[in-house]
Amino acid sequence: MRFRAKIVDLACLNHFSRVINTIAKLAKTCTLRLTVWKLYFILSDKVANGGASMWCELCQGNFFDEFQMEGVAAEHNEIYLELVPENLSRALKTAQNAKAVKIKLTNKHCPCLRVAVELPSLSSSSRIVTHDIPVRVIPRRIWNDFREPRVPDFDVSIYLPVLKTMKSVVERMKNLSNFIVIEANLSGEMNLKIETDLVSVTTHFKDLRNPPWVSEDACQSSAQDRDLESMAEARIDIKKLQQLLAGQQVNPTKALCNIVSKRIVHFILLHEDVSLQYFIPALA
Amino acid sequence: CLLHCFLFLAVFGRAIHAIARIGDEFWFDPLEKGLALRSVNSSRSAYAYVFFSSMFFQHYCCTAVSEPCGKEKQLPLPCKLVIKAVLPVFRCANVLERNVEKCSISSSPGEQHMSFQLLCRHGVVKTYNLTCQECDPLQAVFAKHMCPNILRVHSRLLAEVMVHFPTSQEEITLSVTPMKVCFKSYTEEDTDFSRTMITEIHLSPEEFDYFQVGVDSEVTFCLKELRGLLAFSEATGVPVSIHLDRCGKPVAFSVEDVVLESSFILATLCEPEGAASQQLCCPQQRHRNPRRDGNAPSTGLAKPASPLAEQGEKRIPRAGDRDVTGGAGSAGGEAAEAPSQKGSNINTHILHLWLLTSGNICVFQFHSLFFGAVSYKEKDPMAPTFQSLATASDTEESSQG
Repeated sequence: MRFRAKIVDLACLNHFSRVINTIAKLAKTCTLRLTVWKLYFILSDKVANGGASMWCELCQGNFFDEFQMEGVAAEHNEIYLELVPENLSRALKTAQNAKAVKIKLTNKHCPCLRVAVELPSLSSSSRIVTHDIPVRVIPRRIWNDFREPRVPDFDVSIYLPVLKTMKSVVERMKNLSNFIVIEANLSGEMNLKIETDLVSVTTHFKDLRNPPWVSEDACQSSAQDRDLESMAEARIDIKKLQQLLAGQQVNPTKALCNIVSKRIVHFILLHEDVSLQYFIPALA
Repeated sequence: CLLHCFLFLAVFGRAIHAIARIGDEFWFDPLEKGLALRSVNSSRSAYAYVFFSSMFFQHYCCTAVSEPCGKEKQLPLPCKLVIKAVLPVFRCANVLERNVEKCSISSSPGEQHMSFQLLCRHGVVKTYNLTCQECDPLQAVFAKHMCPNILRVHSRLLAEVMVHFPTSQEEITLSVTPMKVCFKSYTEEDTDFSRTMITEIHLSPEEFDYFQVGVDSEVTFCLKELRGLLAFSEATGVPVSIHLDRCGKPVAFSVEDVVLESSFILATLCEPEGAASQQLCCPQQRHRNPRRDGNAPSTGLAKPASPLAEQGEKRIPRAGDRDVTGGAGSAGGEAAEAPSQKGSNINTHILHLWLLTSGNICVFQFHSLFFGAVSYKEKDPMAPTFQSLATASDTEESSQG
């Protein structure tokens, strides 16, 4: 099992740091899956996460100048590692003007991802900062726990409003309530509602569009037959929504959510070379 | 010699903030040549010292007064102030520069308080009357010139190094060889590596303004306490000198220029295993890490040693060397003062401070000192003005505070 990668381009490095920062806001611990072409950051829906789950996919070629991966076995050419993304975020934080960043899987006292940052210095030799981030190698027998989640059989799919606006609305609502109701319909309308003993607040968004989903099989039929005005709603933990929105440092190319009434809200945020899916279960 | 510089007020404020990282109280020690501020932490493993020469101030006057009955003049006794009470006076260094034209500090004999007065723009005067306590002087003995390893580097570089460590990082290890310098997160034998992120930074000797390494050494000290000095030295722009020796001996970080000097002396950890030379460098005492536990055992306190006996001593004076076997197993001997911490086998070298005990109380009269702002236009006449200020602060009630 071997893994080595290198980034020399500053723009790629900054982009990669931003992705890691977003992941760090969503999960305290997550799984990093390495394949020949892609990296995945996965959070599977355990009770400990409050049932939320995450699937983030990047093409390694868009970030790394060098990328060598040898998986656990020839026919299973992948590596699954469990790590704390905040550590990776911290290691990259002070690499803003690095000449190069190398990441390597090592096993000194325990399995680690060693991030070596080469920084410019006043002298002829560079300054080298290394961070050893402890990881846990996930055995092949439980790789099935980390499969890509299916797009749920949603009732309504709708593009999100401008994330910055949505974020500031949700942040203020967070001060008033622990839960928020997201509801939307197929006419491009979305409401964010909170209700407490003292106050209820609703923010209305309209003229959002509904993404056209191509149904590969009959699974989307429930959405097609639906009354356009009828709202699908789900009551979710407001903190999870706030973390998702706060973690977005750059505006995604596409941002949408799929609502399964009273069951789950599935967010999809697409950037040029990164896709992020985040599932927040509905609460009673 | 009068020096105008409103910048200096900010520097003084940063010195207070730096010292605040060390302990809860600090010694305010006016000397003839200038003002010394000192602090030590509760476990006596960190000592900070900042000295402002009289040239730093726009006006500085400090005299000792002999007792009426004709006893010999004594050195004035310093007083102790609570850091938390003083910090608000110098809260924001930037704000100080902009709004405060003058700062005066004064005290009178017999008074149990010191007065800090900020003369601000628009005629606003803020007076802080802070309780202080006369106390025994505090001084650490550390022979910097005896250290085999001396490095000098611009404070910017040190700040750039420390930024890679999380603010929660307690201890770091500095290791030097003639070929390289390395700062790394401190790890001990029983560190849980599967949970700990370890950071290491390598610097080449070329990055230092002055680089002398006589002995390969590796010292571990508390980073949190040092951060205060780093911020202070960045404010002054003075390079930082690092004096270090083998592990177990203290490490000193100091800055020095014409009008001020400062030293932060930190005890370093001493590993139990190692050559017999370890016996020389530290008493094999078992303690909880002094930083993690403010209530360190009382062996930290120095017994008052006669200053004369210590002169010429090359080693740091120690209070009661114990003859204990080091190593993981020997929790027993000192368990009385340090109930065993699970798995801890680090022996800590405590800085033993030489306390001057002078049995005589002296009446000391401390006149005001002034910082001036560049914009301050009036000439400051000497004795009469500060006399009246001293009087004013005596009669003003604390309702002004």
